[in-house]
Amino acid sequence: MKLTKDTDRDCAQAWEAMPWVLQDSAPPEQSAWLTEHLARCEACREEFAQQSQLRLALALPTDIDLDPEVGLKRLMGRIDATQVEETQTHARTGTWFTRALVAAVLVQALGIGVLGIKLWSEGDAQSYRTLSQPTPAAMPGAIHVVPDAGMKLADWNTLLHSLQLQVVGGPNDVGAYTVVPAHAAGTSDTLQQLRSTHGIRLAEPATTSP
Amino acid sequence: MKDADIDADETDRLLLQRMASGDRAALAVLYRSYHGRLCRFLSRLTRRADLIEEVINDCFWIVWQKAATFKGESRVSTWIIGIAYRCGLKALRQRGDEPVDDENLPEDRTPAHDPGEDRELRDWLSKGMERLSADQRVVVELVYGVGHTLDDVAAIMQCPVGTIKARLFHARVKLRNVLPALAGDQLTQKESVP
Repeated sequence: MKLTKDTDRDCAQAWEAMPWVLQDSAPPEQSAWLTEHLARCEACREEFAQQSQLRLALALPTDIDLDPEVGLKRLMGRIDATQVEETQTHARTGTWFTRALVAAVLVQALGIGVLGIKLWSEGDAQSYRTLSQPTPAAMPGAIHVVPDAGMKLADWNTLLHSLQLQVVGGPNDVGAYTVVPAHAAGTSDTLQQLRSTHGIRLAEPATTSP
Repeated sequence: MKDADIDADETDRLLLQRMASGDRAALAVLYRSYHGRLCRFLSRLTRRADLIEEVINDCFWIVWQKAATFKGESRVSTWIIGIAYRCGLKALRQRGDEPVDDENLPEDRTPAHDPGEDRELRDWLSKGMERLSADQRVVVELVYGVGHTLDDVAAIMQCPVGTIKARLFHARVKLRNVLPALAGDQLTQKESVP
């Protein structure tokens, strides 16, 4: 920096203060001090005059001639175009979503319909019955049998197999099974055989039970 | 900050609030109010009128979209000029242009109604500014032309205050060495010295 006359501390301080005094943003005391300094310092006066000139020149309107109304119109057009685009995008997204929703509902309705038809066609006929379900009306030749608690499963199975009996119900609350003969053999004989078998506590015809 | 600046900033803030709710009339008022300032400021970066208009529109496009997010941590003018500065640098980068020098300003670019004295002053400034770097020109414009503080300029250019202070100092030294000679040739010192 070529500041031959500005080596003085006051001149350096004046140099610092000039832009802000020119801006009118310096504190009043700083402005007053600078005014005093300029009165007795020719170099700083010249510098300040040049700074004032610079500020004056920079305050001139630009030499580039642009019509703000043209630019503003273009900006509004840009905003309009963006809003239209956003609306269209939103509409497209909405249409797609609605269509997907309708398709999903239709598929669901179709599925429910098919399931309904299938269930209706099967009717009440059941090809099975669980043992926990209530015992159906006593079948012809059905016998209630209560095996001893200590009877082994293998012995029970052997007995059923030998007498050709099939379990159709039970055990109920008292541990009774309902069995029916596989063939229409005499129920009374089967009853006698059951009663005489070791490990069978009770054997009674189901039809005679209270 | 001067009372006039406080009032202007308050007005700008109200306009921004209205813009945040989609008020285009407020946008138009703010646009017209800043157009001249931005035009002059951006002319320190480029001499291309089409580019300046584009940058001003990009700037106000962002202002329109971000009006609701303005936190009020700075003056509105600092915020807007900062956006314009960054848009200007981006536009120049995208075109592979460097900020232009002010040399050889064509005659037809000066308005026909320009009075002789203003024209001389403008030429004097132009020749002085061409000796500065683009960053120095921007700092000089913001401090002397727009009237921003060092803190404002630092916020606009997103630099430390020390950097801005250094740019201003070097710009002033260059101008100090160059301008008097130019003034001797072209400009008669008519102003009284305080």
